[in-house]
Amino acid sequence: MATRVQALDVADVAARPHRYFRRMYVWQWPIRVFHWINAICVTVLFSTGLYIASPILAPAGEPYTHFVMARVRQIHFIFAFLFVVNFLWRIYWFWMGNNYARSGFPFVWRRQWWRDLFRQVGDYLRLKRGHVHLGHNALGGLSYTIFVIALGWAQIFTGLSLYSETVPSGFWGRLVGWVIPLLGGSFQTRMWHHLFAWGFVFFAILHVYIVFYDGQQYKNGLVTAIVSGEKFYQEGDIDHDTWLS
Amino acid sequence: MSKADVKPTTYDVLRELGVDRRSFLKFCTMAAAALGLDASAVGKVVEALEKKPRIPVIWLHGLECTCCSESFIRSSHPIAQDVVLNMISLDYDDTLQAAAGFQVEEIRKRIMKEYPGQYILAVEGNAPTKDGGVYCTVGGQTFLEILRETAEQAKAVVAWGSCASNGCVQAAHPNPTGAKPVHKLIDGKPVINVPGCPPIGEVMTGLLTYILTFDRLPDLDRIGRPKMFYAQRLHDKCFRRAFFDAGQFVENWDDEGARKGWCLYKMGCRGPSTYNSCATFKWNNGVSWPIGSGHGCIGCSEANFWDNGPFYERLSTVPLPGVDSTPDQIGKVAAIGAGAGVAAHFASFLVRRTMSKDKPDESHVSADRD
Amino acid sequence: MSTQRVVVDPITRIEGHLRIEAMLDERGVIKDAMSTGTMWRGIEIILKGRDPRDAWAFTERICGVCTTVHALASVRCVENALGITVPENAEIIRNIMFLTQYVQDHVIHFYHLHALDWVDVVSALKADPAATAALAQAVSPSWPTASPGYFRDVATTLTKFVQSGQLGIFQNAYWGHPAYKLPPEANLMAVAHYLEALKWQKEIIKIHTIFGGKNPHPNYVVGGMPCSIDLNGDNCINIERLNYVKGLIEDATRIIEGLYLPDLFAVASFYTEWAGIGAGIGNYMAYGDVPQNGIGDVSKLRFPRGIVLGRNLSEVHPLDLSDASQITEEISHSWYSYPGGQQALHPFDGVTEPHYTGPKPPYEHLDENGQYSWLKAPRWKGNAMEVGPLARLLVGYAAGNTEIREVVNEALGRLKVPATALFSTLGRTAARGLESRLAVHWLMAEYEHLVANLKAGITGTADTSRWDPATWPAEAKGFGFTEAPRGSLGHWVHIQNGKIANYQAIVPSTWNASPKDAKGQHGAYEAALLGTPMADASKPVEILRTIHSFDPCLACASHVLGPDGRVLAEVTVR
Ligand code: SF4
Repeated sequence: MATRVQALDVADVAARPHRYFRRMYVWQWPIRVFHWINAICVTVLFSTGLYIASPILAPAGEPYTHFVMARVRQIHFIFAFLFVVNFLWRIYWFWMGNNYARSGFPFVWRRQWWRDLFRQVGDYLRLKRGHVHLGHNALGGLSYTIFVIALGWAQIFTGLSLYSETVPSGFWGRLVGWVIPLLGGSFQTRMWHHLFAWGFVFFAILHVYIVFYDGQQYKNGLVTAIVSGEKFYQEGDIDHDTWLS
Repeated sequence: MSKADVKPTTYDVLRELGVDRRSFLKFCTMAAAALGLDASAVGKVVEALEKKPRIPVIWLHGLECTCCSESFIRSSHPIAQDVVLNMISLDYDDTLQAAAGFQVEEIRKRIMKEYPGQYILAVEGNAPTKDGGVYCTVGGQTFLEILRETAEQAKAVVAWGSCASNGCVQAAHPNPTGAKPVHKLIDGKPVINVPGCPPIGEVMTGLLTYILTFDRLPDLDRIGRPKMFYAQRLHDKCFRRAFFDAGQFVENWDDEGARKGWCLYKMGCRGPSTYNSCATFKWNNGVSWPIGSGHGCIGCSEANFWDNGPFYERLSTVPLPGVDSTPDQIGKVAAIGAGAGVAAHFASFLVRRTMSKDKPDESHVSADRD
Repeated sequence: MSTQRVVVDPITRIEGHLRIEAMLDERGVIKDAMSTGTMWRGIEIILKGRDPRDAWAFTERICGVCTTVHALASVRCVENALGITVPENAEIIRNIMFLTQYVQDHVIHFYHLHALDWVDVVSALKADPAATAALAQAVSPSWPTASPGYFRDVATTLTKFVQSGQLGIFQNAYWGHPAYKLPPEANLMAVAHYLEALKWQKEIIKIHTIFGGKNPHPNYVVGGMPCSIDLNGDNCINIERLNYVKGLIEDATRIIEGLYLPDLFAVASFYTEWAGIGAGIGNYMAYGDVPQNGIGDVSKLRFPRGIVLGRNLSEVHPLDLSDASQITEEISHSWYSYPGGQQALHPFDGVTEPHYTGPKPPYEHLDENGQYSWLKAPRWKGNAMEVGPLARLLVGYAAGNTEIREVVNEALGRLKVPATALFSTLGRTAARGLESRLAVHWLMAEYEHLVANLKAGITGTADTSRWDPATWPAEAKGFGFTEAPRGSLGHWVHIQNGKIANYQAIVPSTWNASPKDAKGQHGAYEAALLGTPMADASKPVEILRTIHSFDPCLACASHVLGPDGRVLAEVTVR
């Protein structure tokens, strides 16, 4: 049954916040840890990646006194492995975590999911407060699926296959070496790896903005939630997440 | 290859022991008699004992530029002459053959008949497949047909160079003749890919002598290349690697870095993605190699190397129809687009907020709830 | 009149795929001939839309035998379009590589592609090693390996090889054919030198490796050469590399003077009747090469530019490569179509639409009255032309170039034949040797020039002011030329917004191997075959001799050409 929420009485909210805002522990600590490690990894990987693609510092003198490119690559590789482990951890937690840990999954076979998706797009565009979720809304979930999960897989496969080029017959080569011929050779693999990396930048800009915007619009504590794990909701807001389970 | 094929023949051994031909023939007669054969069989015995074990090689030329043959004769150890005169029996090769015309084609057919499953087919160049293969014909027959026909009875197929092993220049976009590498045109035969434009001479003779000396085919990697020559990237064996690791790069031709031998990565060097022996054997008996002489590697032994964008850029353009930009250009546009979208959205949000100060706050009304 | 048709396909010991069909009259004399290029790769179509700085690498792969010449023509053509003048050192290094290619290519051609037309390998078995040694010492006194023991070794190797019953590349050939005239000793000597030359050719070419990193297919760069010079550096061209080059040039001089030329004259003296066979069209063209004052100054080329018409050595016609009316390509007998049924177009307007009308393979014969080749028919002011070493020497000779006159006159004196003997199969083969002689001397001169520059502190090898595509005009057209070992080679490029809009090349073997044109004029190969008597139609030694005297290179000839009919309205040649 459809209900309508009354316009907030701002004065009342200020006077009796507990009446309006309830707290809910949504993001369990593994999710939060994943988020921040991922954020750090992506930042480091992107900036070191840019340098590797087009190194600009040119130290003078004999080469044995410098190790710039090698060091940058080393950092890139270390954070790449951290990224991979963290990523796999998140996937593990998809099953082990609470329902919210699964809330980003694109339930494309459910009409409700699609309805939610379009409504969310409409809400954002029309600057409406709209529908409130405690987990991910369909649009958010979709964008995480594309820009975190799919892109993450793509970077892991292309990245590790490039990493394996040193010893094609070694462990990594056997594991992911097939990616290179699939994409039309090492050079093309590198090109895709580089292009995909920009996907994170694109995503990060939108993500950060939406988080702040959403937090402001919904007054749901979205920004602090990724630190504390807790989100706020108003009375009567909660049940729409039922399509999740 | 059967064991008997690589051993010297009886005749060789006898010759080496100082037995002359007359005694040899006598020996054959006696051998025939001992075996209870009549006189008419003596000729056959002579032939069998005399028959040299050199393995027949048919060397075909399709769409190519003959640089592989040229490279082959640049080999310094062994020199090509030794290979051709003492190790293999190069029975068919349009580039070196003394005879011409139907006499050569006759040789090819005869070898196929006399040595089924025993000869090596070496292919230089590849076959056009478009329009029924009319873009390359030999003796009135399409090369495609000749290739398939000759491969049928071959013991193994050696695909010389990038043309035969991965297509090379005529197969570069848009591949006007539909040229295809050998392994895509024949099946059921071991194909040894020896890519490079051309391969290093010593790699070519090395492969043949490996087969003859050790009586087996070498270990091949995932894409059919002999591991002994194509296991590592140039980049991992390059003498400029120290400069790469240090971050010291040539920025333009003949600049300070170029004179000091700094890394050619920023000049588009393909060493980091190219598997070949250039950094180890180098070229023309170890004199130099492309990176050694100041030009980056162009990756001539890698599949599709012609279509990897300009040779002097490390990033190719994105190969999607209608796109002619590098990942960086696309990425920057996407980032700017995202930023602009955010800015527009935020601006309208602010406008809306200012306006809504005077009105009841609509924005906090949620939509229908299910 | 009975006609016998001889088909030779494949023509072996050449680069690429060539088919010759010859019609014999009842006396066994060739009365009509058809030259057919039987392969097509479409390199120029592939070049469209690419970075012009990459073009040298693509065009270099047109041919691996005359490797480097297409790269050279290509960088010159792009530099011409972009207005780049390469530093003098780069020009000299290019000249050194160019001349190295001549020496190596000509020696390979003489010993490994052409010699077996004149030398009977089987007859060599009958030779007496001592007599061979005496002959060798008389023919080339300066050549060190000429002892009876040495020739006995060669004879033993050869005997063993023949007795093995596996004749390899020598089987089914025309041994014992009456056209072979050399005595056994001369044959044995030639076989020994066949093997020596095979060993040596891989040495001289190291000059390419030093400057260009590898051979076949050394590297070039638009704007200069990639090999930097630093006299006190250890990772670039320094004194060790220069000494290496110098030593190789000295060896080359020894081989040319001590082996190639003596062998050439010795063999030629047995075949002087071939000075009267295979003349062909008698029109000769050379674009010229080996610049002494930058490629823009065509008056200072070691090989002069010009045209000799109708065997008239008293006049050299000027050749203007910037004049769009001089060169056309016709397709009346080629498997292409031009828009609107046109038959001849200037290369600037070049269109290449492959249009195969020949019989469906496998086929027996092609039709001499229809279209029969993947080669077009280039013509100069409507005239069929011969290009190559002979053309270069004749143009130089007619132009009064003293160096060229000197070597030609000396050779004529040695063979005791008049200048008209040059217009022949033998003349063509001899020209290659004489040119090699010039080449080794010029090599040393260029080397010394380079060293003098370095001594004077001039070490630059590249002009990079126009390297960045951002510095290029939106629209540029250029032309580059060179004299490949097989003759005049031209490349045309049209650059638009930093990309190749159209690329055209007219290569030597297209001139020589061209089919007939609409007027029925034969190409040079075809014309040279006319009137040649054949002893045995099933053993086409005579055809091979004349065709090989041109040193055919069919991958070059049939790489053709731009597809879309874009007009290159003008071309700047400086
Ligand atoms: S020159 Fe090329 S192969 Fe050598 S270190 Fe640099 S990038 Fe690697």
